[in-house]
Parts: sequence; structure tokens; C-alpha cells
Amino acid sequence: MPLFGKSQKNPAEVVKALKEAVTALERGDKKAEKAQEEVSKQLTNVKSILFGAADTEQQTEILIAQLSQELYNSNLLLLLINNLSRVEFEGKKDVAQIFNNILRRHIGARSPTVEYICTKPEILFTLISGYEHHDIALNCGTMLRECARYEALAKIVLYSDDFYKFFNYVEVSTFDIASDAFSTFKELLTRHKLLSAEFLEANYDQVFSHYQQLLNSENYVTRRQSLKLLGELLLDRHNFTVMTRYISNPDNLKLMMNMLKEKSRNIQFEAFHVFKVFVANPNKPKPILDILLRNQEKLIDFLTKFHEDRSEDEQFNDEKAYLIKQIKELKPSAE
Amino acid sequence: MPPGSPGSYRRRSASSDLPPLKPSGSGGVVESSSKSSSSEVAAAGGISGSVLSTKRSSTSSAGGTAQRKTGTLGLVTSIAEPSDRHHQQQQQQQKSGSGPTISSTKTKILQLQQELNKGVNGSSVGDDFKHLSKMAGDSAAAALSMSNLSNTWPNMKEDYELREVIGVGATAVVHAAICLPKAEKCAIKRINLEKWNTSMEELLKEIHAMSSCNHENVVNYYTSFVVKEELWLVLRLLEGGSLLDVIKHRMKSSDCRHGVFDEATIATVLKEVLKGLEYFHSNGQIHRDIKAGNILLGEDGTVQIADFGVSAWLATGGDLSRQKVRHTFVGTPCWMAPEVMEQDHGYDFKADIWSFGITAIEMVTGTAPYHKYPPMKVLMLTLQNDPPQIDTGAEDKDQYKNYGKSIRKLVTDCLQKDPAKRPTATELLKHTFFRKAKDKKYVQQTLLMAGPSLDIRVQKASKRQPGASGKLHRTVSGEWVWSSDEEDQQDGGSSGNKKTERRGSEDVHHGDGAGSVATNDTTITAENVGGVPNITSSMQQPNATSEQELPPVNLVLRMRNNRRELNDIRFEFIPGKDTADGIASELVGAGLVDGKDMVSIAANLQQLIQQRDQVKHLTFALTSGCLATEAPDEKALIGFAQMSISSE
Repeated sequence: MPLFGKSQKNPAEVVKALKEAVTALERGDKKAEKAQEEVSKQLTNVKSILFGAADTEQQTEILIAQLSQELYNSNLLLLLINNLSRVEFEGKKDVAQIFNNILRRHIGARSPTVEYICTKPEILFTLISGYEHHDIALNCGTMLRECARYEALAKIVLYSDDFYKFFNYVEVSTFDIASDAFSTFKELLTRHKLLSAEFLEANYDQVFSHYQQLLNSENYVTRRQSLKLLGELLLDRHNFTVMTRYISNPDNLKLMMNMLKEKSRNIQFEAFHVFKVFVANPNKPKPILDILLRNQEKLIDFLTKFHEDRSEDEQFNDEKAYLIKQIKELKPSAE
Repeated sequence: MPPGSPGSYRRRSASSDLPPLKPSGSGGVVESSSKSSSSEVAAAGGISGSVLSTKRSSTSSAGGTAQRKTGTLGLVTSIAEPSDRHHQQQQQQQKSGSGPTISSTKTKILQLQQELNKGVNGSSVGDDFKHLSKMAGDSAAAALSMSNLSNTWPNMKEDYELREVIGVGATAVVHAAICLPKAEKCAIKRINLEKWNTSMEELLKEIHAMSSCNHENVVNYYTSFVVKEELWLVLRLLEGGSLLDVIKHRMKSSDCRHGVFDEATIATVLKEVLKGLEYFHSNGQIHRDIKAGNILLGEDGTVQIADFGVSAWLATGGDLSRQKVRHTFVGTPCWMAPEVMEQDHGYDFKADIWSFGITAIEMVTGTAPYHKYPPMKVLMLTLQNDPPQIDTGAEDKDQYKNYGKSIRKLVTDCLQKDPAKRPTATELLKHTFFRKAKDKKYVQQTLLMAGPSLDIRVQKASKRQPGASGKLHRTVSGEWVWSSDEEDQQDGGSSGNKKTERRGSEDVHHGDGAGSVATNDTTITAENVGGVPNITSSMQQPNATSEQELPPVNLVLRMRNNRRELNDIRFEFIPGKDTADGIASELVGAGLVDGKDMVSIAANLQQLIQQRDQVKHLTFALTSGCLATEAPDEKALIGFAQMSISSE
């Protein structure tokens, strides 16, 4: 990388060189190390166009626009992601950095890269399947989460079959991959409120039947995280319809009541925040009311002693008192 | 999940008639929680098979341990100085007491109800979950195949054999371990997730940071996985221990009055550290806890920076509403840059350069400049005084005269209050001082060969506290004696006890299997007594002793002395023979506590003895209060004292 003056190469040359290097790496016709080295070198060149020469701002803008255009035209982003496993360690991070930077680029309200990816959704699906490869999972996760920040891209992922892969990814045994997948999953379901509310309503059965599996996971982290997210989703007013549907199902109530008694205090506490919604519902369906009535005494007793040491948490104590009062006042429905 | 992992969580089949709150299913949570509101008891009251992890971890979180086994020794992480460890622990206790506050789920119920009132179509949902179980089964199978990804380090606890504990921090226990399928040594850091009510996002961020490092001078991360409620991080084992271990050993075994290491050694090690830092910073990461205790040495002379994940995670984890306060207190104050303490405008990688400068002083003098002071005082000194120098803690002016201009310049450069004026890691590497640096071999010769023997290092792993806190305890003959840590080690042997760290709330025990040892310990926070979060720790009750024998109860009274240092006063209480009033007046008579505090000490002693089966710790206000210049602080034991039942 030159220390002085502008880059030796213009964007078109750099992109061309990078594409050749990646293609060579893909074909394996050179020695792997040599090809890797060449890719890394060209990635550094791309980065120097993106981040370099701070003093020549005007110049950089134009260069970046050219670079982006070259990247779209050459379909290099997809090629890079497809071959990410073959790129060496630091190079993988460079790819993610370049990808995210190009993605964030906007001209006024337009995001050209987002528009580009909308026409090339296989970029998204390739990134998703990156979670299946240990060596690139986190790099792909970084890029995918950046994509999920854009509604148009999040929508493509949510409404694809590949979305349901996340229910498996969040449970893989390698903690960092599983939790990375969970962050992306959460981002997809919470970032764009209207989009996700609409999605959850339209796909309620499919999503929540999968979700049940997370709540019942053997993995403590999966259980805790998914329960917490469930609480957040149900209590988000955008998801009102979804919530009313969820709290009308007695099986869900049973699950939460069982989770209230989990060994883990954190899980108990999260369960409380879902359970309270069932009780607070002024129009409880009969099956829900029946369960609560059948357990009326036990629930009052249980809740009275529930997390008594949480004395500083006023809101919790208010809510607890409110729940106890509600349950005390429960009466069989008129019919 | 891998097929071999314990299936204790697979149990939730919702029965149709639902007796969910009957205590049968989970062993009587309701009953046990009625006895005590303690988090541990409530949490552990459930399924017996999985009680262990909570308890074990509660012990791990409590602080130091003394591990007697000898053998390979390596990674020691996250072990704070006594005073600040104390702090972390207190915060942790406080956290575990107050529990998670998940603001986002806490929509006010009333508001909720209003929304619900607007309209509920509560009738048509019944059949939505019919195909549920089938779907769940399918997905589980898919998840299984996922676990066969190309991961060379396995993710099952069965594939690792845990060996000796090599480090204990506020949040985690670190074991040396063998990865059985690979027949390779590693270090396993076990973090209890239930204890830390930390957001997983924070935790992930830091592990992400660790796994995105690939540099000779940054500790190698292999994999991580969940075992019950613990997170296990598998890391490279560095068998030379930490730089702090070597410093401690050197100070104990030779005269370090005029400096611990020669300049060449310091330059060699620090240069490696800087290379690690440079890489780190180029990755956009901040370590936040650079100090000798976090610099590890490999047998071959490798120098690596460790423990960057969890320290940062400590700093930001948990309850966001209180993050600011916590942030200030967590960390290692002696090494902390002024701007980190201030918390006004955040801080950047230059904070690491400050800590690096303090570490340089540490390598000369053996300790951080303000190590003698309690954390709050350190914060004050750091913010108010001129930056420390090599001679700051010296007793004589000429004490460190052997150290030349270049290292002094290095320290001054790093320790500038204005972060912008501090050099970057890259710039520092060009500092003239590093012309004195030699190679790995040199580190091996000067540090490792002359380093502490393995067993000492293992012991040391649990008790890294420069200076300050000595301990007063009553001997068999009833005399009060003061002992330093070193003396402790010796008398620990002669007393016939297996050496256990005698340090009130830092007492920790551990099992020696991967979760197979059941102990009878009970941890109870005293919140139900005091109503306020408390300094607590778990204590080991090796054998339930029957009441008839009335064995002596060992107690520790932790409070500040006239010099405001924390001291542990140890004494026995023989039920039926001693009285609380008698002991309290004896403590006063021995000049150990202020006469004004006699009554409160007696009262709390009485209470502790009476409830010793349930309560192991009490923290109480002192009638004597605190100095006019201090603010009472229950957590820091300013104006407060803590009494604990010790297991020794």
C-alpha cells in the first residue's frame, strides 16, 4: 500500500485483480498459499480505496462509487462469499469489513448495495448457510446482521424457507456460533417492527411451532435466550395480534407455568414476564381461565414467595402484587 | 445438542391435567423458597441432579481458592487484587441478589391490559399447536447433524478431562485440562451464566473478539460450549503461568528491593505485549485490563495477552440502568486510566496504553503504584495526583536508581492523563527502550527457569494480592497473631489442614471432577436478614457435623483497621462455652475493634451462631462509623463490617 499519493491502481483494476485471484483460489490451479496471498493483497488494496487517504475526500467518494459499481458488475461479492472458507484468516475479516462498508454506502436515501443485493438474493442465502461452516460462521454472521438492518433484505430472509434454518443454527453446540446466529435471528424478528409483526401474523403456526423447540431446548442458553426474546416479542405492541393468539393457547400457559419453576432463576424471571400476560388478559378464554382457577391457591402461594429477595425492583413487585390480586379475584366464567 | 450431553433439561411435556405447581416435579421449589429467600437455595432447591452446577459456580464466583495439587500450571485469568476483587464480588453478589432487570419485557401491566381491552379474539387458537411435537422432533434431528461441523476442538464436556484449578476469578474458574480425542492440553475457563445476569450479546461480543484474533501474542481461543448453566471456554494452556506469578515468586525468593526484573527482561516481555496490543487495536478492540496478572507465559518463552473477553464483559454486563456505576467500579483500579474512571466521554484504545505503563512499573517494583490503597482511594489518587512514575511507591529516593532514562521515558509517555498524548502501540514499538529487548529464549531463561515451582504457582494462583491485607487470627492458645500471606502458607501446613485460603469472603472450594462432586455447601445471602445486598460467599461444610458434638465454629470478622486496610480477624466460637458478648469484649480488649462496636459485633455474632445452619455471612453497620473523609459504603466495608463462618 503506498504511503503517499493515491492508490497505484484504479478501482476497476483492483476489482479485476481480486476477481482473478479469487477465481484462481477457487480453481485451486495455483498453490493454495500463493493464491491466498494474492487474494489478501488485493483485499488490502480494496480496503485502501475504501478507508485510505482521508485527505482526498472528494477523490475518495468518486473512487468508492467506481469501486462499488465494479463490485456489482463483476458479481464479486457473491464470489468472495462463496469462497470465504478458502481465504486466509485476516482476509476473511477484510471481506466482512469491505462488504459491510459497501453495504452501508448510501446516496441520499438510496442504498445502492441494498438494491443490488435485492436482485441477487443468493448472496443472503449463501451468508445464511455460512453458519454451517465453523471457520466462516462468525464472518458471515457479521455480514448477515448488517444486511438485516435493511428492511428490504430482512424481508427476503424472513419470507424465505432458509429463515427456518436459524432454529437449528441457534442450537448448535459451538457457543459462539449459536449465539451469533441468535443475534441475527433476533435482529430479523425485532429490527423492523411492522415487517416482523406482519410476518409473525402470517406465519404464526410455522414460526411458533419451531419456537417451541427452542423453549424446550436442552441447552440452557437457548432456553434462556429464546424465552427472553419471546417476552420481548409478545410485549411489543406491534405484535398485539400475535400476543393475543399466543396467550389464548393453554399449552403455552402450561409451558410458562412450568418454566416459572425452572431451577434457573433467570429463566424463572423471564417466564414471569410472559406468564403475567396470560393473567393480565381481561378476556381469558375458558381453557386458560380453567387452568388458572384449578391452580388458584397454589399460584397465589407460589407467587407470594416468588423472588422475594428482589426487593429493590419496584416494578417487578408491583406487577407481582397485581398478578396475585388478579388471581385471587378470579371467578369461573358465567357460562 | 450432542447426543452424549446430559439430558436433564428434556423434561417438559405439558401434562393435560396440569398440576404444575405441585412440588413433586421439581423437588419442592415452593417449599424451599419459603425457608429462605436466598437465591441459591431457591435455585438449587429443584432437581437434585443439576443442583451442583449452581452451587459450584456460586463458589467459583466467590473469589480465590487455594489449590494444592501440583502439576502443570498455566493460565491464570481474571484474578484481581484483593480489594478490587472484593468489589467485583460484591457487585456480583449484588447482581445475583437483585437479579436481571429486563427492561424491554417490562411493559407495564396496566398499559397492557388497556391494549388487551381494546379487543381480544380469544376463541380460535386452540388447534394451532397440534403438530408441535412432531416439528420439534424433526428440528432436533437437524440440530444434531449441525453439531458435526468441522470443528477440530470438540464441544462436549465428556471429551475433556478437567485437571487442577489454575485460576479463580470473580466469575470463573480456570482448569488445566486434557482434550481426550486430541490428547492435547488446554485450559478451560468455566463461566457461570446463571450467576452473571449478563446479556448474552455482551458475552458474545467478547468471545467474538477473542475468536477474531490470530496472533502470537494473544491467547488462542479454541472453542466454547454450554455445559448446564456454565459456559466453557477452551483456550490454549500457557504453562508458565502469569507474569504476576513470576513477580510474586521473585519477590519472595530474592531481594527485589531495587527492582524485580532487569531492563532487558522487561523490554523483552513488554515488547511482546505491545505486539499483541498493536494487533488488538488494529482489530478495533480494546483490552481494558492489561496488567501482569493477564500476561501469560508459555513454556517456550511465548508471551500472550489473556482474558480480554471477560474483563470487558464484566465492565458492561448486566443491568444497563446501573452500568455506569458498575463500570466505574469494575476492573482493576490500580491499572485503570483516568478517563476510564471518569466515564464521562468513554474511552478508547489509549486506555490500554495507560495500563501498559502501569504494568511497566509493576515489572520494576513488583506492584502497581497505588496497590496499598483501597479502590476508591486509588481512583482518587489517579485522578488527582500527577501520573505515577517508577519511584512513586519507593521508600527511598534511590531505590530504583538502576533503571535508566529510556524506561522512565517509556513510563512517562504512557502515563499521560490526556489520552491523545499517549503514543499508540505501533509508535511505542519504536521506543528506544525496546532496543534492549531480546528473544524468547531469554524470557525462558530469566523468567521461567527462575520462576516459581509448579506447586507454588498453583497455590499462588489463588492468592494474588500485593501487600495490604494481613490477617489477624487467634491461635489455639488464645493469642492474637498477625500473619502475612507467606507465613500463612507455612502455618497452613503445620496446622494439619489442607491449605485453604484464609480469607473470609474469598474462600472458595472446588470439586475435582467435571461436575461430579457433590458438596454440602450452602450459600445464603444475608439479604433476608439485612434487607440489603451483602458480601457473601459460599463456604464449605465438609461434613455435616451433628449438633451434640458442638464443634467450634470458625469465624472471620472482616473490617478495616486504623490504616483503613481490610483485615480479617479470625476466631473460634465454641457453642456452649463461649458467649457472643464474651468474644466481643475479648476483641475489644485485644485492641482489635473499637469499643463502640462491641454491641453490634456481639449482636451479629449471636445471630450468626444461632442461624449458622442457614446463614454464613452477615454484614452490619459499625457504630464507630467511618472517617469524616469517607462515605459509608457497605460493599467496600467502609463503616461496615462483615462476619462470616469459615469452613477451616
